[in-house]
Amino acid sequence: MYYLIMCRSLTYAQRIANALESAGVGARILRSPAEISPSGCSYSVRLSPRSLTKAMTVLKHTRLPYLGIYVGSAAEHWREVSP
Amino acid sequence: MIYLDSAATTLQKPPAVARAMAEAVGTMTSPGRGNYGPSSRASRTLLALREKAAELFGMSRPEQVVLTHNATHGLNLAVKTMVRPGARVLLSGWEHNAVTRPLATIPGVRVRTVEAPLFRPKQFLEDLDRKLREGTDGVICTHVSNVFGYILPVDEIAARCRAASVPLLVDASQSAGVLPISMDDWGADFVAMPGHKGLYGPQGTGLLLVRDTALPLLEGGTGSQSRLQTMPDFLPDRLEAGTHNIPGAAGLLAGLRFVEKTGPSAILRHERALLARAAAGLVRLPGVTVYRAEDPGCQCGVLSFRAKGRDPGALADALADRGIAVRSGLHCAPLAHASAGTEGEGTVRVSFSAFNTAWEVDRFLERMAGLV
Repeated sequence: MYYLIMCRSLTYAQRIANALESAGVGARILRSPAEISPSGCSYSVRLSPRSLTKAMTVLKHTRLPYLGIYVGSAAEHWREVSP
Repeated sequence: MIYLDSAATTLQKPPAVARAMAEAVGTMTSPGRGNYGPSSRASRTLLALREKAAELFGMSRPEQVVLTHNATHGLNLAVKTMVRPGARVLLSGWEHNAVTRPLATIPGVRVRTVEAPLFRPKQFLEDLDRKLREGTDGVICTHVSNVFGYILPVDEIAARCRAASVPLLVDASQSAGVLPISMDDWGADFVAMPGHKGLYGPQGTGLLLVRDTALPLLEGGTGSQSRLQTMPDFLPDRLEAGTHNIPGAAGLLAGLRFVEKTGPSAILRHERALLARAAAGLVRLPGVTVYRAEDPGCQCGVLSFRAKGRDPGALADALADRGIAVRSGLHCAPLAHASAGTEGEGTVRVSFSAFNTAWEVDRFLERMAGLV
């Protein structure tokens, strides 16, 4: 299981991933799963469950926008969570 | 050859520019096409370019930095967004065809120009104030005249536009890399610039700084919201359809790093010193008229001149035959020549870069002395 921060563009996903990496939070950009991307191609930043709290602090501080946060895995459905 | 045509394109580039481009050709594909190395490297390069440009040009949001093919591309995007049919537009009077030709395609546009003599910024602002009071829907202003090197008082122009709530588009084609540009402080709606002049990037690159959004000129793939048959409503994707010029972006990023490291103010100082040397030599030649600002602070490294009885084109050709590269004619800016009263035959223009030397200016003056 892991978390996805879904972003509206690759540029935002990169900026969020860079901000997280700078704060010591491991982050990886990937294509959003089709299930949560009804408009087609979008990008998400993948986080491990233990990084979520710190990641939220970073996002609040940097004010970088994102579309939503999802939890799940490749083998199961994704659901949106409210951190 | 001695190259004195950097207002068109800087020929000498920092070696890092060609290296970065070659590396991009061999190791990068297209951003956002996959989670594999060559695509990720391209994505990182493009973001690094946006972040560096945002830092250099006083912009808090790198995603609002749009990669264009040149300044003309950016100006077309901006003009065709800002100016609606029937709008009233105020121009500086020193604009390039890259502004006036797109405007001419918009039905019913009423264009006025700020009227003031060359190198008279105070008079410029007085007439601008008058015309802003009379009402306008937008102001378009070059930061520096590509013909005369005249620096328009953009800080003051931007303040007046903000106070009057009038949209502002700044053409930074000749200023990017030598003069301070602060998109956020200006509150401009758009700032357009080429990559291949004072930013020392390759031809085929440019940047458009966008405050809010713009109408696309091209529609196509963006790697985002692919199911929608409209362009994404967010930047930069909205304005960047199709595969990016990644080698160009890599080269431009190297150019920006060179400008940052050298310092725009140091480059400006160098170019002004060369301009002063060239102007001082030219005025001593018989029959030569030099368009030089009394206040050196009003002019950067672009200098126009004419020689009595000599066609500017023929004079430029004669210089080319003697190993000196200059530009002549109307410089794609008939409005600027009309404002200065040089619209008949135009002028000969010399323009400098960080790589020119005093020795080169002296050789140019020697050749000129043999021709007039």
